Amino acid sequence: MAKKFKKNFGVLIISFLILSFIYNHSLFRKLYNIFVINFESRLTKKHGYCFRESVGFLRMLKKKYKFNFNPLIVNYEDAVPDSGWSIYDNHNKIDKNHKILLNYPKNLSLYFKPLNKVFYSEGTVKHSNGISNIIFDLKDEHIRIDSKIKIYRKTFNKKEIIIYEENFHRLVENKQIIPIEFKTKKINSIFKPTFIEISDLSNNQIEKINSIIVNLNHEFNLKNFTIIEKFNNCYYVK
Amino acid sequence: MTEIIKILIQVLFILFIISFPITLLETDKKSKILTFSLIDKLSINLIFLINVLFFASMLNINSKYILYSYVILIIFLYFFNFRKFNFKSIKIDYYFLVLLSFTILISIDIAHELYFAWDTQVHWFFKALNFFQDQEFENLNNFPVSDYPHLGTYIWSFFWKFPSNSFEYLGRITYAFIYTLSIFSITECLRVNVCEKIIFAILLIFLTYNYELFSGLQDVLVFSIILIMTKFAYYFFEKKFISNHLQLILILLGAANILCWIKNEGIFYAFFLLFCIFITNNLILKNKIALITGSLIIISLRIFIFNFYNTELNPSYFQFEKTLNFEFLLILEKIKIITFYLIIYFSQNPIYLLTIPVLIYITFKYPLKNITKFVIYFLILNFSFIYLIYLFKSTEVEILIRHNMLRVIFQTSGFYFLAIIILINNYAHLFKIKLLSK
Repeated sequence: MAKKFKKNFGVLIISFLILSFIYNHSLFRKLYNIFVINFESRLTKKHGYCFRESVGFLRMLKKKYKFNFNPLIVNYEDAVPDSGWSIYDNHNKIDKNHKILLNYPKNLSLYFKPLNKVFYSEGTVKHSNGISNIIFDLKDEHIRIDSKIKIYRKTFNKKEIIIYEENFHRLVENKQIIPIEFKTKKINSIFKPTFIEISDLSNNQIEKINSIIVNLNHEFNLKNFTIIEKFNNCYYVK
Repeated sequence: MTEIIKILIQVLFILFIISFPITLLETDKKSKILTFSLIDKLSINLIFLINVLFFASMLNINSKYILYSYVILIIFLYFFNFRKFNFKSIKIDYYFLVLLSFTILISIDIAHELYFAWDTQVHWFFKALNFFQDQEFENLNNFPVSDYPHLGTYIWSFFWKFPSNSFEYLGRITYAFIYTLSIFSITECLRVNVCEKIIFAILLIFLTYNYELFSGLQDVLVFSIILIMTKFAYYFFEKKFISNHLQLILILLGAANILCWIKNEGIFYAFFLLFCIFITNNLILKNKIALITGSLIIISLRIFIFNFYNTELNPSYFQFEKTLNFEFLLILEKIKIITFYLIIYFSQNPIYLLTIPVLIYITFKYPLKNITKFVIYFLILNFSFIYLIYLFKSTEVEILIRHNMLRVIFQTSGFYFLAIIILINNYAHLFKIKLLSK
C-alpha cells in the first residue's frame, strides 16, 4: 500500500514538473503559434523585416528575384551581426554589383558630448568613407578657435588611433556647417568610442560648446546606384 | 500542422537511426553489452553514428550514402532479428518515454523561437549550410574561422537534410535529443527508484535549459558529450563493470574524438577526463595501453587533418608571445579580471552553486574515494584551463570574458553532477542511519 502510494506520489510530482516546464516556457502558446503562423513569418518576426537583421526583406528579395548570385549585403544597424546567412547559397558566386543596403540612414553622423577636456561620442558607424563636415552647437553666437582638432579612438590598452588631425583657425558660428572633406575608413568601428580633442582650448571656451556633430560620407551613396527594390530604409540596388 | 508532423517524424527518425548498431546487433544473452541500459546503448549508438559522420565529412563522402547504408543495415537487422523478438516481454520504458517527451517539448520551443545567436549567424550556420548544400570539407576555408571544428554543424546539416529536407531547425532537434539523452543518462547513475531518477533528470533540465543553448551554438553539444562521457567514466568505479573496462575505454575514446571536433576546447576537456580516469583507476596494462594509444591516435588525427587541409589557428586570437614575455603586472591584472568574472559567472550557474558545495562537503566530511578524487582532479584541470586560455588570449581579455566565459563555464558544468551522485549513492544511507539512531 505504502509502495503504491509512493509510486503514485512520484508520478504526481513528475506530471507537475512536466506541466511546470510547459507553463514556464509557454509551450502551449508556442505550439498554437506553430500551427497558425508559418515558418517564414515566424523567422521574420524574430530577425526583423526591415529592422535589426532584416531577414524578412532579404528572403523576400531572394524569392522575388530568384538570385543566382550572392549579393553584397550591407547592414547599417550596428547591434546585430551580418545577416548574409539568411540568403547565402554555396552554389552561387558573390556579385558585388548587386547590393542590398539594410537600415540605410539618411545621414551618417557622430554626436560628441563634452567630457572633461575632450568630446566623446557613444555612437558608432560602420560604412562611412570619410568626414564631410563638422557642426558646433554653441551656447554663444560664435567662438574663436585657434588650435588643432584631433579625432581619435582609444584601444583597450589605451593607445590612440588618430582618425583626423588638422590645424583649425577660424571664427565658428553656432550650428554653422564647416566643410572638411577628409577621406578615411578609420572612423568605422562598432566597438570603440571616438573622441575629439581641441588642444589649447580654455575651460571657459570648452564650456561654451554644447556639442559637436561630425557628419560623414556614405561609402555606398544611393545617388550612385539604381534602386531596384525599396522598403522603408532597406534597398536593393545595382 | 505539417511542421508538427515533421517534428514528430524527425524525432522518430533520430530514434530509428540510433537503434544501430548495438541495439540490433547484440542478441547474444551472455554478451557484456547487456550490462548496459537502453539509454547506454543509445548513447553508444550515437557515439558510433557521430564518428561515422565525422569520417564521412573528412573523406567528403556524400551523407546520403551514409543514410542509405544505415537504413539498409537497420531494415535488414530488424528482419533478421524478427523471430528473436519476444513481443510479450516488451515493457513500456517510462524513463525513456519521459526522455522522448522532453525532446519533443524542447523541439517545440526550438521551432517557435528560431532565432540564431550572434556566433551562429557569423560562423556556425555557414558551416552547416556548407554540408547541407553538399559542399566539400575544403570549402570551409572560404568562410570565417576555418580553424573552428565542424562536426557539430555536420550533425545539424545531416538531420536538416534527412528525412524531410525542409526547415533548418529540424537539424537542431538532434541537439535537443542529445541533450535530453545525456541528462537522462547521467541521472541513471543514481541508486534510487525510476520515479526519483526521472525527477532528478527533470530538475537538471530545469536548471540548465534555455533556448539560447539551441540557437545554433555548439556549447550544448560539448555539455552533452561531456555528460555522456561522465556516465561511462562513472562505470569505471562500479564493480559491476570491471570486466567491461576495455569496452568503456573504446566508448570514451569515441566520445573524446567527437568532443575534439565540436569545439577547440573540447580537445582539452576530453583529455582531462581520460587523464583523470587513468590516474584514479588501477587499470590493467592492456587497458592502459589502449587508453594511451587511442588518445595519441585522436590527437595525431587532429594534427594530420589540420595539416592536410592547411588549416591554421587564427594568430590574432591568441597572443602567445605577449603572454610568454612574462610582463608580471599584465599577468597579475589579467588574473584579477579572470578571477572577478569567474566568481560572477560561477554564481550565475545554478549547477555549480549546487554541486561545488556538495563536492566540498563530501571531500572533507568523508574519507576520499577514487571517484571523488576523479571529480576533484577534473575540477583543478578545468579551472586551470580557464585561467590559461584567458591569459593567452589577447590583451582585451575583459571583452572576451564577457562574450564567452559564461558559455565556457557551462560546457563542463554537467560533469559536477557526479558530486551529487556520489553523495546520494554512497552517503545518503548514512543520514537515514543517523536519523534512526536519534
